[in-house]
Amino acid sequence: MEYIVEKIGMSRTITVPSSPVTLLKLKEVKVCEVNDGVAIVSYNDGKKSNKAVEGQQKKYSLSAEFNRFATMTVANTEAGDLDLAPLAEAKIIKSSFITKGRGFTGVVKRWNFGGGPGSHGHRFHRTGGSIGNAEWPGRVQKGRKMAGQHGNSLNTVKNEIISFDAENGVVVVKGAVSGPNGALGRIKVVK
Amino acid sequence: MRNKYIENFEAAQVASKSIPEFRAGDTLRLAVTIKEGEKTRVQNYEGVCIAKRGQGTGQTIIVRKIGANGVGIERIFPVYTDSISEITVLRRGRVRRAKLFYLRDLAGKKARIKELRK
Repeated sequence: MEYIVEKIGMSRTITVPSSPVTLLKLKEVKVCEVNDGVAIVSYNDGKKSNKAVEGQQKKYSLSAEFNRFATMTVANTEAGDLDLAPLAEAKIIKSSFITKGRGFTGVVKRWNFGGGPGSHGHRFHRTGGSIGNAEWPGRVQKGRKMAGQHGNSLNTVKNEIISFDAENGVVVVKGAVSGPNGALGRIKVVK
Repeated sequence: MRNKYIENFEAAQVASKSIPEFRAGDTLRLAVTIKEGEKTRVQNYEGVCIAKRGQGTGQTIIVRKIGANGVGIERIFPVYTDSISEITVLRRGRVRRAKLFYLRDLAGKKARIKELRK
């Protein structure tokens, strides 16, 4: 069972030992259509609207704020409000978020290469260095770690649920999830 | 301003704790629970609070005392933690700053703090 959530931010518990926690706010989700446990759902994100969105809203008789659509697995058997029962019993979830984008990044930051000395006549500072052999094999091995786009990719982590507040729709999980505060992501009930 | 959901989450945890009001310069006694193997016991730690930082459940204090042979000891404690059962304010100090890191450079009579008189 999946849920769309917004990352609120992090806090900690006062227990011994203390654990870092992340607060996630459940997005209000309407189930439009269910087919074998997989549903078309709708939720709100910003004000985007166009004729295609309006057409879908008319088709599923949704109000104007539901302007985003997605497919995910749900516990519902028919259209309506999302069923939160599996989440109330869940202990472990998987949280998928888009990581913070870091743009085109060098090998030191992207792959944790050591880099070279900064001074005393060195010219090998933060460059990648050699990327392979000579005439044989005459090519670069696949999977060679080089500079490039870092971040802005989907990352999934496993988290333990600390508490679930159904009234406010706040899920508190142990540990961190990727992405900035306010980012939308999905959580999936594992156990 | 912090997020209201984070504040609610932290307020619920802190609700059962009664922490006296104090600031930097005050002399505190902390009852710290120590676990040694199977046994747990309470040890008192007494010293001057030289800094208070953070907010909510993450709030910490630095407590400085002079140990054996005049060696300064500083320990950082979370204010709201289950391992501190009680905080007592022994003496209120008259100080003019929020962080008393200058005490580290002073010793003996210079390192005294006057008591606050109202």
